[in-house]
Amino acid sequence: MNKESVMLRKRGVDYEVKAGMTLGSALKELDILPETVLATRQGELILEDEIIQEGELIILIDVISGG
Amino acid sequence: MKCRTCGSKAVVNMRQHKLALCKEHYLEWLPQQVDRFIKKYQMFSKEDRILVAVSGGKDSLALWDILHGLGYNADGIYINLGIGTIGGYSDLSLQKVKKFSEERNLGLRVFSVIEEFNESIIDISGRTKRGMNRTCSVCGLTKRHVLNKVTRDDQYDVLVTGHNLDDEAATLFGNTLHWAGEFLLRQGPVLEANGGLVRKAKPLCRFYEKEMAAYAILKNIDYIYEECPYSTGSTSIYYKQQLNILEHHNPGEKLRFYVHFLKAKKDGLFSPLKSIQQSLHECPECGQPTSSPDLCSFCRLMSRK
Repeated sequence: MNKESVMLRKRGVDYEVKAGMTLGSALKELDILPETVLATRQGELILEDEIIQEGELIILIDVISGG
Repeated sequence: MKCRTCGSKAVVNMRQHKLALCKEHYLEWLPQQVDRFIKKYQMFSKEDRILVAVSGGKDSLALWDILHGLGYNADGIYINLGIGTIGGYSDLSLQKVKKFSEERNLGLRVFSVIEEFNESIIDISGRTKRGMNRTCSVCGLTKRHVLNKVTRDDQYDVLVTGHNLDDEAATLFGNTLHWAGEFLLRQGPVLEANGGLVRKAKPLCRFYEKEMAAYAILKNIDYIYEECPYSTGSTSIYYKQQLNILEHHNPGEKLRFYVHFLKAKKDGLFSPLKSIQQSLHECPECGQPTSSPDLCSFCRLMSRK
């Protein structure tokens, strides 16, 4: 992983974005609707206005289920 | 973003309510709101014996946790559908439900489809016309049959399910797209008992799926995160995605869609025609109520070898 980037992991798939942007901007860049995921940093929930820092791993938890 | 109540860092932001809350105040707010809607829709009281249908997923376990915390008398029922290999989807979800109930000392009933009917949901789907590429249809029918039977036989006052607002809005979306009059008439927070069909209630019907996931995570509820392998590509997930696009551009759209529907129904927009009112009789095979002329849908399914 690039030192200046942030890793976002969703259901085992990793996405890399530039550090220093908000979580909301990162989700937009990855075309992920914020309504469909929760984000955690070191196990703690974070919101879309949070700045994501270089070297971090953000876990995205899918919230939509169905059948 | 700051918690509206205490000003500390918020962990949940509900744009439809213009409300952000910290962990402590969210875990206080959600159960209070659930209780508010239980009372508003007159779902049940502290004196009632409640049966909660639990799947091991976030919604049903969060609901059971909330009902228990609020002091309601709620047992759980888990239906083991026999999906996946040993240690697979059904086994794993059963483990989580058992652990949850044991930790809180809650009454749990386990109904095994394989033990009762000698085959799994997948086996039934594979040999019947209804099940052809439609495992979810067979699964839904079986669950409705079993849940009604157990609730009735064990004399619970009400059967409660963890359907959230996204589930309800997706169902409403589908029924509206197809102008399914009978289903639109029957959709609501409470379905009254009718000719052998038990009373049903959905205490989470006003809460977004994301809010329920946040509650489960913040309460450290160990729920099954894996999706049922047969739900991939399901229509309900597709409808939810479409509704979330609307919600993203117009916060509160999902909630308004559902709440305005309930109001329109109450105001008489969907006045029932005689032709779509249900006439129920007892199935000659299992004794459960059915609107079919002879055997109920479940017994017809099981009789097709």
